[in-house]
Amino acid sequence: MSGRGGVVFDLGYKPHEGPRLGRLGAVRAVIKDGVRRVLGLRRRARKKVLPWLLFSIALLPAAVFVGLAFFVGTFSPEAESPFGGHVEYIGLVGVLVMLFIALAGPELLIPDREEGVLAVYSSRPLTVGDYLLARAGAMAIVVAAFMIVPNLLMYIGFAAIDEGGFASTLAGNADDLLRILGATAAYLFGYGAPAFLIATYAKRNGPATGVFLAVMVGSTAVAGGLSTAPDLPAGRWGSLLSLLQHPEIVRSWIFGQASDLDSIPTDAGFEPWASLVVIVLVTFLTAAFTYRRYRRLM
Amino acid sequence: MADSIITTAGLGHAYGNIVALHHVDLEIPPGRVGLVGANGAGKTTLIKILLGVLHPTVGTTSVFGANPHTDPIVVRSRVGYMPESACLPLHQSAADFAVYAAELAGIPPRAARQRASDVLTLVGLHEERFRYLGEFSTGMKQRATLAQAIVHDPEVVFLDEPTAGLDPEGRDEMLDLISRLGAFGINVLVSSHVLPDIERTCDWVVMLDGGRVLRTGPIESLTDTSTIEVELLDDPAPVVAALAARGAVVEVDRQTVVFTLAEGDPFLLARDVLAETGAGLRRLGPKTTTLEDIFLKGNGAP
Repeated sequence: MSGRGGVVFDLGYKPHEGPRLGRLGAVRAVIKDGVRRVLGLRRRARKKVLPWLLFSIALLPAAVFVGLAFFVGTFSPEAESPFGGHVEYIGLVGVLVMLFIALAGPELLIPDREEGVLAVYSSRPLTVGDYLLARAGAMAIVVAAFMIVPNLLMYIGFAAIDEGGFASTLAGNADDLLRILGATAAYLFGYGAPAFLIATYAKRNGPATGVFLAVMVGSTAVAGGLSTAPDLPAGRWGSLLSLLQHPEIVRSWIFGQASDLDSIPTDAGFEPWASLVVIVLVTFLTAAFTYRRYRRLM
Repeated sequence: MADSIITTAGLGHAYGNIVALHHVDLEIPPGRVGLVGANGAGKTTLIKILLGVLHPTVGTTSVFGANPHTDPIVVRSRVGYMPESACLPLHQSAADFAVYAAELAGIPPRAARQRASDVLTLVGLHEERFRYLGEFSTGMKQRATLAQAIVHDPEVVFLDEPTAGLDPEGRDEMLDLISRLGAFGINVLVSSHVLPDIERTCDWVVMLDGGRVLRTGPIESLTDTSTIEVELLDDPAPVVAALAARGAVVEVDRQTVVFTLAEGDPFLLARDVLAETGAGLRRLGPKTTTLEDIFLKGNGAP
């Protein structure tokens, strides 16, 4: 055909001749999708509201504290500061993280299973372990953002206005970064594992979120009741059922403030490492049950 | 068969006491292959074994030379799968899901976006690509499901009942799409209980019944016979006698005579016999054998 008229070409089908990233590319895709999913990105507006509201609430106080400290002109990263230090801030954000995990755990696992999307994963270079670890990785990234971003803002912001100098304050408090990471892991596994376990068996997101919150609060109430019943032989051990408090205990332990914490397991005479053991056990149990269930599905 | 893409040997699978596949030996060539059988014949079980989702109770299988049971990653890197049941995330747009499906197969993000756009256009969803999948009609969902199955340019795609739930127009369009896949260089294994769908789209067929292989081979060889059907106006007895005298195998049903000739042209024989007997002819032609005829015959149906 010639002249000025346009020509429509049927391009047909073009095979992919570029690189293939294989299993690693698949895992990366699942992590990316998981992060987007729990934050509601590229989803309907209503899916964005709660995660971003929680994230804003987690971030806002840190920004306000740094701003106020800048105008007041004083700061100490430790507890004697009028705004509190990292350990208090993690305690505050920990509640928000638990609420976020209550929403994110079900969102990461249930829709794929109930909408049949697992069949798609079954035809991709991905194992069951890859899929579950990638989903957990997505959760870890967002929980880390919840915990680390505001604390990092405080760490850098307060160092910037510290009379001791920016660089020396940063270097002097570098240990805090590791402690923040450790505390983040405690909250991630302490709350994330039970959320995943419930999401592994639940059919709908809403009820799964409700059950998770009920288990967290209910187990702590039961632990409190058992620990105050000296006639029961299992009473002292029952205090370890306090799932809500284990991450807080480990956090305080990491920051060297375990003795200041008032909690059911520590009041029953358990050392903070017992809480760490409980978190590790619950994580392993979750991994075993979740893997077993998904092996049958994928 | 030297160029088989899928082979199974003594393959069996049981769900508890229920045997779904029983000693299945197959050598499936490249091209478009139909997997035919009634509901419960073992089609989906076979596909899931080929994907490595189910493990065979006995026997072995290979896809492109790899064992799906021991090397699922190798197999899954080269296949696509369109499941019979729903597999679409309802709160994601068609474009986003197609990109994700491509990335899941290891296609780099930029290429994945391009491929998703191309494949959604190919299946007729270009205009609808930014709509959420939960808003799609059944036909559109089936197209989106096909798109995710081929978006990563697999070497073979397993289509499990791709026309299920579609209206006649949607079914027609889906069958056209399947027919085109072969031209794109994608091998197809399509399962269906609708025999005409397989006849229309495939060039090779595997017939399953009760977990056993009933027949397998090129559709042409199964359906193309040298059987001739002659419908007469008069008493067929003289014609039958004359045909039998010349070595034809003859069946009679009222005025209709059906015969097969081992050697020679059956049409020339029919012409000669009709001229010799002077029988009145209403109709003469090849007897068309469909997959349904073969399936029913193999099933022991009358």
